[in-house]
Amino acid sequence: MNEKTKFWVLLGLLVLSIALLVYLSTQSSNVLLG
Amino acid sequence: MRRVNFVLLGLIILVNLYTIALPFLPNIGYWWHNRGGDKPVSVAAYIKKTTNSSNPNEDTSGNRIIIPRMSLNTPLLEGPKSDSFNLLKAGAWHLPFSTDPTQGGNMVVAAHRFSYTGPRGLFYFLDKLQVGDEIGVQWGGKLYHYQVASTRVVSPTEISVQGPTDDTRLTLYTCTPLFNPVNRLVVVAKPVDEGATP
Repeated sequence: MNEKTKFWVLLGLLVLSIALLVYLSTQSSNVLLG
Repeated sequence: MRRVNFVLLGLIILVNLYTIALPFLPNIGYWWHNRGGDKPVSVAAYIKKTTNSSNPNEDTSGNRIIIPRMSLNTPLLEGPKSDSFNLLKAGAWHLPFSTDPTQGGNMVVAAHRFSYTGPRGLFYFLDKLQVGDEIGVQWGGKLYHYQVASTRVVSPTEISVQGPTDDTRLTLYTCTPLFNPVNRLVVVAKPVDEGATP
């Protein structure tokens, strides 16, 4: 794999990692009973 | 380009480590705070300790719940059920259809176990409470003392725990387990006295 391909793969993984963190930060489980 | 890729890889590792480690970090703080054995503290001593060491500009008046075992001294938020999402996101919510310490019956307080945004789950350590632990509720300028009488895990459909009761009690609940919280952890505390000036 050349360096340019590696760059795009790593950039994609970084975006996915940040997206997961943002997703988890916006999630709030429903505490309430019922 | 090789250097840029190295930086990207480092960033990926950092972001993922943060995401994975964050839910466990409060346990490290709890272990450090309680190192050297079990140190139950009375409500009065905990209020004195937190008032002395906390920010002097912080408003500690108003209605609050104090749980020394959990190192918790936080305001009780009031609001309608329609606003429960925002109230629970902001802190500990006193359920409006429950009573308050002056009325008797069942006073119910709910809060999140864990969230990635602050406050990071006020009831994170609710599972650390043991029978006999002290809980204080500062209400209308008076301090009401409770003692934990029982803890149990119920399904989310068991709404009877927040229903009216003949006896006076304080019910606290949150999600459990920490991950995939499919149940609710319920702590019931019984009053120790009628209320004193804090």
